[in-house]
Amino acid sequence: MTTHSNLKVSDSSLTPRWFNSLSTSKRRNITGYLFIMPFILGFLFWFLAPASVAVYLTFQKYNLISAPQFIGLKNIERLFNDPLLLLSLKATFLYTLLSVPLGLLLSFFLASLINRQFRGIAIFRTIYYLPSIVPAVANALLWAWMFNTEFGLINVFIRALGGSKVAWLQSTSWAIPAFVILSLWGTGSSMIIFLAGLQGIPDIYYEAAEIDGAGRWAKLRHITLPLMSPIIFFNLLLGFINTFQVFTIGYLVTNGGPENSTLFLVLYIYRTAFQNQNMGYAAALSWVLFFILMILSFITFKYLGSRVYYENPGD
Amino acid sequence: MATKKLSRRDFLRLSGASAALMASGLNIQSMLQAAPANQDVTKIVFGGWGATAEDNGVQAAIKQFMIENPNIAVEWQLTPAAGDYMQQLLTNFAAGTAPDTSFIDASRYETLRASGQLMDITDRLKADPQLSQKGYFFEPQEADRCADANGHWHGIGSTWVAHHTYFNQDLFDKAGIKPPGFQDDEIWDWDTFIANAKQLTVDANGKHPDDAGFDADNIQQWAVNWEMWWMPIAAAIYSNGGEYVNKDGLLAIDSPEAMEAMQRLVDLIYVHHVAPRTASMSDLGMTSTQMVDNGRLAMAVDGSWALSWLNPAAMKVPMGTGAIPKMKKPATVMQAHFHSIISSTQHPEEAWQWLKFLASPFYTLSFMKIGLWLPSQSAQVTPDGLKEWITEGIHPDNYVDFVTEYLPKYGVALRIPNGYIEAETSFITPAFQAMSAGTPVADVMPEAVKQANEIIKAAQAS
Repeated sequence: MTTHSNLKVSDSSLTPRWFNSLSTSKRRNITGYLFIMPFILGFLFWFLAPASVAVYLTFQKYNLISAPQFIGLKNIERLFNDPLLLLSLKATFLYTLLSVPLGLLLSFFLASLINRQFRGIAIFRTIYYLPSIVPAVANALLWAWMFNTEFGLINVFIRALGGSKVAWLQSTSWAIPAFVILSLWGTGSSMIIFLAGLQGIPDIYYEAAEIDGAGRWAKLRHITLPLMSPIIFFNLLLGFINTFQVFTIGYLVTNGGPENSTLFLVLYIYRTAFQNQNMGYAAALSWVLFFILMILSFITFKYLGSRVYYENPGD
Repeated sequence: MATKKLSRRDFLRLSGASAALMASGLNIQSMLQAAPANQDVTKIVFGGWGATAEDNGVQAAIKQFMIENPNIAVEWQLTPAAGDYMQQLLTNFAAGTAPDTSFIDASRYETLRASGQLMDITDRLKADPQLSQKGYFFEPQEADRCADANGHWHGIGSTWVAHHTYFNQDLFDKAGIKPPGFQDDEIWDWDTFIANAKQLTVDANGKHPDDAGFDADNIQQWAVNWEMWWMPIAAAIYSNGGEYVNKDGLLAIDSPEAMEAMQRLVDLIYVHHVAPRTASMSDLGMTSTQMVDNGRLAMAVDGSWALSWLNPAAMKVPMGTGAIPKMKKPATVMQAHFHSIISSTQHPEEAWQWLKFLASPFYTLSFMKIGLWLPSQSAQVTPDGLKEWITEGIHPDNYVDFVTEYLPKYGVALRIPNGYIEAETSFITPAFQAMSAGTPVADVMPEAVKQANEIIKAAQAS
């Protein structure tokens, strides 16, 4: 990394005298910290401070109106005896387990489709990417229409094909699948990441493999997938973290219904805090989310991280 | 006598100086005029929610109020959605930045009252020459909603709104059916309702629900939509002799009468095939009243507020209104948000003046004229009072019957208990959804009510 040492740390005419009197390494450290200060400040104010308050609130009863009141472990005890938390975990896990793998497959597939050069490819890339820049609220309302039992476009198609109407958003068994379909609609952003990864694979590997007699499947399995594994891993982790925090569709389209079947964890936390005015229990619930995400990330890193192939380790 | 000739420079200097003097004199004068007022003006903040109509109404009211009370300035803080506003208000309580006066959602009134956030206005109300007049408000409904068990008031109802039916006159004419009205002999009983509803429901082949070969999956025109949320459901329950909330403030919708009423509503969908699956129209850009307008629906049970956007003048077809069909007796539920003074206000007297103004005819009339609100004051339903607000092109001909006869006799005002919001979102709404999806009411309601009442009891105990 020789380029870094040529970097001029500071222009002494622009910096205070005390700074110039420091040793080079100290000056370099201070400059470095200044550069990462936005993150550090953000972490302190938008994570550590609220998280500390959440620790405090977990042991309080607080309705936003009266002063918080210490209630010991009651909020934690309630976690183990809460039927709604079970429903909410079920909805969140089901949604995650369906939408993350399907989303990965679809975005990988789409990325391979548009990873070609021909006239008009830019149009196709734009078309597939467009849905992911539609604002989440507009997207949710649009799909609420699409899934409408009596008038929705999807049921119109199903009936035209001879099927009978599906009560998408009113049925406890169809609401989550409907949301999974909805989530696939916005798969464009991970598609773009995959596309960038695919374009970074040098053609010479494929050419070499072809000379050795590799077919399509062999090229995919032995070249594309290993070289793409860091990106797949990245998209997988991001997918888990995003879907676990799903809120907008549950809030706007079904408001947790029918029968709490789409009461996603974040929606439940929000409701507990701001509708039911129970900040203490909401804090306890948010720790549940935190620990689930931590454990999932840990598992993903431990068991899948080792399978990721980095072409230039140490880079 | 030596004359001193004014040089040009002196002239300019002089005229400049006098102009400055005049200007400053004017300034001083205007400052003198404004100064005493400025010193004495007390600013109070009024928070609330609403769309353009509400915003315009409140702004007009503030203008008028400030003319009548030049020493009080009202600052209006508007949030579009009621739910968002109430959450904002709660966080304002936490931050100590609550407004002086506020809209209070009916479902939060008891909770905020119990926690001491709403100022007790009983004494001021009794001392007020206008508001203390016997029969100033619709009674007993106003006291039913405002006063607690000890007769203390912590707010005044803004208005009333209630459910009734809206119907598409063309579709009724085509079926040869006389629509319901508000007079006692014009209100449909349940059997008449079902029989007529079947005539008003048509599938793609022009068949009715009792015809052979009727395709329930391909209905082109439904007779009715009865939305499945607490207000229209409660109307049916009271009509069948049940109660939504009992006198102890607990939910009573697991009684046989209540469950029978709810089952009848669900049967409209799955047994009689005269109503669409309800959630299909909620959560969408289209309301059931709009569907009446476009002919997909013959009749909608909807709130009186819908008149403000679906008045006859705005409709493509002739639209009429009538009473909700009755089960054992006619009934509808009357509701509305409250206006309250927040206890933390530093200006209780000024806040009371404003609150009083909000309960005056000036403020309520502006909303009644556009069809958004119903009267809450007795004087507004006298023959003279009606002339003040019944508006041609907005209110159908028989609307007078609704407010003068039907509502005073059959309108039920109920107090939503402390803890209801959590009880509803956690257990009651899911139970309503289960029954709307076809689960028998008796299978879901008893357990839901049990769990909901535990939440309410806990809230009342704390």
